Amino acid sequence: MSQLPTKQTAPLLEARQVSKYFGGLAAVNQVDLDIYPGEIVGLVGPNGSGKTTLFDCLSCLQSIDKGKIIFKGKDITNTRPYQVSRMGLSRTFQKLRVYRQMTVWENMLISRQWRGENLFVIFKVTDRHTRRRARELLELLQLSRLQHEYAGNLSGGQQRLLEIGMALMPDPEIILLDEATSGVNPTLIETIKDRIKTLNREYNKTFLAIEHNINFISDLCDRVYVLNQGEKLAEGTPQEIQANDAVVEAYFGT
Amino acid sequence: MKNFSKILSKKWGGLTLWGSLIFLLSFYPLTGASGIQLFTATQIFLWVILASNWNLIGGMTGYLDFGHAVFFGIGAYTMGILVTNSSLAFAPKLSFWQALPWTGISAVIFALLIGWATLRLKGAYFSIAMLSTFAATREIVRILRPLTGGGSGLDLPPVLNRPGEYYFMLITMAIVVSLMWWIRRSELGMSLVAIREDEVGAEMRGIDTTFHKLFAFAVAAFFTGICGAFWAWQNTYIDPDVVFFQNRNIIMIMMCMLGGLGTVWGPVIGAVLLYLLQDLIWSNLVDYHLLVLGVLLILLIMFIPYGILGALGNYDTASIVRIFKTSNKTKAKIK
Repeated sequence: MSQLPTKQTAPLLEARQVSKYFGGLAAVNQVDLDIYPGEIVGLVGPNGSGKTTLFDCLSCLQSIDKGKIIFKGKDITNTRPYQVSRMGLSRTFQKLRVYRQMTVWENMLISRQWRGENLFVIFKVTDRHTRRRARELLELLQLSRLQHEYAGNLSGGQQRLLEIGMALMPDPEIILLDEATSGVNPTLIETIKDRIKTLNREYNKTFLAIEHNINFISDLCDRVYVLNQGEKLAEGTPQEIQANDAVVEAYFGT
Repeated sequence: MKNFSKILSKKWGGLTLWGSLIFLLSFYPLTGASGIQLFTATQIFLWVILASNWNLIGGMTGYLDFGHAVFFGIGAYTMGILVTNSSLAFAPKLSFWQALPWTGISAVIFALLIGWATLRLKGAYFSIAMLSTFAATREIVRILRPLTGGGSGLDLPPVLNRPGEYYFMLITMAIVVSLMWWIRRSELGMSLVAIREDEVGAEMRGIDTTFHKLFAFAVAAFFTGICGAFWAWQNTYIDPDVVFFQNRNIIMIMMCMLGGLGTVWGPVIGAVLLYLLQDLIWSNLVDYHLLVLGVLLILLIMFIPYGILGALGNYDTASIVRIFKTSNKTKAKIK
């Protein structure tokens, strides 16, 4: 599990010298990133180190000022987020973005796989396949009994689970998890971990996860990137990272 | 009343109830109702359609359109120009039925052009942009004298057929409200509500927000244009001030808020109640009726922000205050 994938395969998601500036502040500064198919990669760093901004750039939610983002061999630098999502990249948000005034069930259905629109969109109702998938995922995340509840009435942790479910709905190839386990109770964290492992091993899904939970990182991740003040500080296996002096100083503390 | 809202929330309950109501209403002209009674009923139907259409873009999609009556005006003027006997630069002198489709189409084209620009704005900015569109269109119509008759207005051929008007509006209303009911259940409706709840999230989860917003805007504009056309035909005279009447925007919004913003049946209930209430206030307190309406609006926002349906326990409704407050710091990339 800890061995690095062979470099012969092309990366699924690449970032080349990506930079994003907010005024004079370089939130992300010339970051290079390679995610290979079938990996679970961690992204750690102190608060304000540009992790979420990098996620926004990778998912095309924010335009980048310099550099290039390549997904499945295609340059997606100037694509709109919904197109990236339809290509098979889905993500969760640190600041929860569930549709608060829709039921859990509707939240799941509307996050289905989208292919395209035409003027007959008005006549479409959700198909059986989508319904079955939603039911299975809700069961897995232990949200079935809440399915007719409004998402805004759920607790923070439950909303986070719902977001993970929504990210899994379209059957994506890569999933970017932005602090997926914050506010979730330990037993459920174990469940999420198991589920990610299963998805990774059996369905060959790729994950990129921002995490502050170091157990999560060391148990799951094949590789870890460390960001500090918008720049890539280090890269390696979880063991290497935890032994790296610069990382210990910037992130773990002594 | 609890039972009533329970029926509405059943799968086919709402539409069945609606169908029976339309069926009953279709007998009204046969009961010997007078012309003025039929006229009032027609006006109520007109307002139900306007409120339902506003609700599609304002309630379901969460884009508070303060200038939606601009499509009403576009429809009215298209009808006026196409059927008038006055001498204009372009006056084909069509009949009502020949002109009707073009009124809807012109409103849709206008909506696509305007929406393409304004739907990028959010919250109050969108509202202000639409309000300015409304005011600007009125002035443009006033200036384009050779095409629109300018400030002196247009005369339409006078035709008096109250039962005909009644049935036309009844059928249009039946179609529009059933369409809204269907939209709310379909994926389109869910996407629109998703856009209202979180536009960035919707975009990131694969919903083409631009397409959905423009589509909803165009559908809403189409039927509003038809309403405007009908109103112009019934009124037999149009000028910029009666067609682009500022209060029409506000009343549409108030009707939706009173019934329940974002629901299918809210605008229907709100339109009927507010129209009757307005008539009552107007006939008893001519001098103060605007004051009373203003106070009513404030009380509405303070005490039942989720409308009548919201107060009855239907949580499918949105509050105008909440929609205004929703501002997303991270802006989705829009081209």
